[in-house]
Amino acid sequence: MADTAGVATTVERHPALRRPRNGTLVRACVVAALFLFTLFALPQLLSLYFVDAMTQVAVYSMVALGLGVLVGRVGMVSLGQVAVLAIGAWVAARILFATTLPYPVVLLAAGAITMVLGTLIGLPALRMRGLYLALITLMLAGAITVGLTTVNFPNGGHGFLGYNGSSVHIPPIRRPSIASSDPAYFRYCVVVAALMFVLAYAHIATRPGRAWAAIRQSESAALAAGINITLYKLWAFALASFITGVAGGALAGAVRYLYSIGFPTQDSITLLAVVLMGGAYSLWGAIVAALLLQLLPALLNNWGVSADWLTILFGIGVLQVLTTAPRGLADQVPRDLARLGRLIREQLRRAAAARGGAQ
Amino acid sequence: MIEIDNLTVRYGGVTSLDGMSVVFEAGTCGLIGPNGAGKTTFFNVLSGFVRPAEGKVIAFGTDLLSMAHFRRARWGLRRTFQTEQAIDELSVFDNIALAHEHAKLGGTSRRQDVLAAISFVGIGVDPDSPVSTLGVRDRRLIEVARAVVGRPKLVLLDEPAAGLPDEETEHLGAVIRGIPEHTGALTILVDHDMSLVSACCDTTAVLDFGKLIAAGPTAEVLRDERVARAYLGTADIQ
Amino acid sequence: MPSWVDFQPFIVTGLALGGVYALSGVGLVVLYRATGVVYLAFGAVGAMGALIAWSMANAGLPGWLGWLVCVLFSAAVTVAYGIVFGPPLAGRDPLVKAVATIGLTLILFGVMDLLWTTSGGESRSITLPTDNSGFMIGQIQVNWTQVIGLAVGIAITVVTGAFLRYTKLGTAMRAMANDREISATLGVPVRRVEAAAWLGCGVLAGVAGLLLADMVALDATTLTFLVISSLAAALIARLRSITLTFAAAIVIGLVHDLLTPILALSSYRDITPFVLAAVALFVLSRHRVTSPSREDA
Repeated sequence: MADTAGVATTVERHPALRRPRNGTLVRACVVAALFLFTLFALPQLLSLYFVDAMTQVAVYSMVALGLGVLVGRVGMVSLGQVAVLAIGAWVAARILFATTLPYPVVLLAAGAITMVLGTLIGLPALRMRGLYLALITLMLAGAITVGLTTVNFPNGGHGFLGYNGSSVHIPPIRRPSIASSDPAYFRYCVVVAALMFVLAYAHIATRPGRAWAAIRQSESAALAAGINITLYKLWAFALASFITGVAGGALAGAVRYLYSIGFPTQDSITLLAVVLMGGAYSLWGAIVAALLLQLLPALLNNWGVSADWLTILFGIGVLQVLTTAPRGLADQVPRDLARLGRLIREQLRRAAAARGGAQ
Repeated sequence: MIEIDNLTVRYGGVTSLDGMSVVFEAGTCGLIGPNGAGKTTFFNVLSGFVRPAEGKVIAFGTDLLSMAHFRRARWGLRRTFQTEQAIDELSVFDNIALAHEHAKLGGTSRRQDVLAAISFVGIGVDPDSPVSTLGVRDRRLIEVARAVVGRPKLVLLDEPAAGLPDEETEHLGAVIRGIPEHTGALTILVDHDMSLVSACCDTTAVLDFGKLIAAGPTAEVLRDERVARAYLGTADIQ
Repeated sequence: MPSWVDFQPFIVTGLALGGVYALSGVGLVVLYRATGVVYLAFGAVGAMGALIAWSMANAGLPGWLGWLVCVLFSAAVTVAYGIVFGPPLAGRDPLVKAVATIGLTLILFGVMDLLWTTSGGESRSITLPTDNSGFMIGQIQVNWTQVIGLAVGIAITVVTGAFLRYTKLGTAMRAMANDREISATLGVPVRRVEAAAWLGCGVLAGVAGLLLADMVALDATTLTFLVISSLAAALIARLRSITLTFAAAIVIGLVHDLLTPILALSSYRDITPFVLAAVALFVLSRHRVTSPSREDA
């Protein structure tokens, strides 16, 4: 039943250059506009307190991105991403104190080393079922947190650990020469984050992304199609670890004194909560997650409201997302956000129509 | 030609396949039997998801069981599943291209091969449309397209018509009948729909409680008393 | 290397701690087998119960009343969660169910931090009356709380094992662990059995919370995440065997405390449960062929 005529008709309907549909072009413009606004206008509009908060948002958007790829695209839950962030921060701090390497190199190194460590740790865990993988990452996160408390973050000391226990004056972690002020460093982080998002997108839109989609749909079918599941899961882990490692480097420069952050185990759990609430599948979800995680507490703090209310909210959010999402942990877009989006679009349309009618 | 020799699978006290020995020569072959007879277990052995306690499978001269499971697709093993496996978030083209790229068939012929597969199974929609917008008919056809794209050697179809109304089943039957000629592959079809099996398959084997109870030309097998007895115990009496 | 005498007191504390871990681990395993839920909020409910008991004692109420309320509170929250969130998530992957309990954990965590803030460095503690009386085994001092810790651990393991094997309710739980739907068609009152499992687990969470608050620290974060140690024991037992959970818990408790006198390793001893669980899981799962078909409980 070889149908060469059939092939011809299909080829006709399927032009050589896939035309970017209208939707994609509009979306690209929106993204570009938002990016430029954030980069140039935002720092001018905000007080230093909020510039700080937004820098944290930029950093954690990368962490959420990594977790989002794992959870949303492959279906793997890691309860230890904040521990990975801590490793990245540690590595970056060590290199920053010990060398005068330029910042981009340090960030890449932090990302690469974290990637190697994350992959080594993840390798044996990847053959386990989802539940066990999640619990193992929880265990490892706990272990790393304890380890870091004992080992401490580098503070300019010598030796492998770079920690000088008797230092009275702890030097701040240096920043890139072009971005030493807070607003400038915010811009720097935004650019780094944007690059990470591009990296993630490059994966999702090509072969690994398709393989991940197949694995998430059904491991049996993926195996039957010849997909090396362990390899692709490892790849996802490596990507997530790399991005989180880079984020750790950015974090080190942002806070300048790492001992002030505890990197406690509960942060990994809260991170998962906000990633689920923001939507693990969509790349926007990572930004929403970071806003929930870092901007809201800053706002509440400003208004004198305890951040504990947010923890409670996130807990409720998790329960809500899981009980209403029909398909596992990575629903395309969480219902509320989708509904919110529709409401906004509806309002905009009505406003436009009203204006048009009034004219 | 695929030769099954004394294939036995035991799991937790249950013997799902018991000394199954049969030869599937060429073309499209049917594999039928009541529920729990071991048909899906047999496919799982071929796919590599289940390790048999005993037995050998020699397909086109290759010892299939000694190959790592994800390499079998590269070798030319394709399979569909009882439950739908089309990936919603990807387009029709990407769903089928997925099978092609992981069977390591080379990128240069990919578009051509995928489009040929799409037209062979008769999917009429734009290959760029996301699968989430499609109905059961096209989803099932996508799965068959995945099974035939490129150069498969052995195609395993596990109840490919499940959920399809009669006309679509007929169309599917015509497609399945044409697979050996179109691709040169040996096709094994597992199904409960006897009219589909008799329409597509020249020869059929019958499993019951893990044992092979009949094998031969489809018409003869379907008339065999032992087969009727195997089914009457569990199926509705017509 | 410290001498034998230095280790001795830590054998006692290690056994006591291990006993409580076993208590918690058994609770986690039984609940998992009956409902498919890994109750990650186990530590948090116990922690909040202990904090309530502390507040009541602080307000002048008799100690035993506080402990009773602690256990009742833990049981009530656990059963309520099971009744409300059990059914909608019943058919989902165990991973989803476990992540859902994280939601509960966060809610409890936030509430605890709101009501019992750690500001001002004020440290709270719970002392049970059994802390102050004890006896000597040779040179080692043993107090009754430690005995209770180990004894309760052993008792719960034995009783639960017998319960699962010999009672109707227990058999029903084992049936459901295997297959919830088939059990339902066989006439097992699924909802009631699940409620019983949630109740039992909640009670154990309260008891464990109280004991750990006494033995370790009365601090929301510490107690909430101590569940990880019990979870480690349960994981080593593949969430299946009660006896193995007990054994693993005792080992974890012992190794953790026995590392205290070894100066070089002492500050790392909190890593013990993680390392043990990770090693055990890696070793145990090497023989498993990934079975993408029917998952086993």
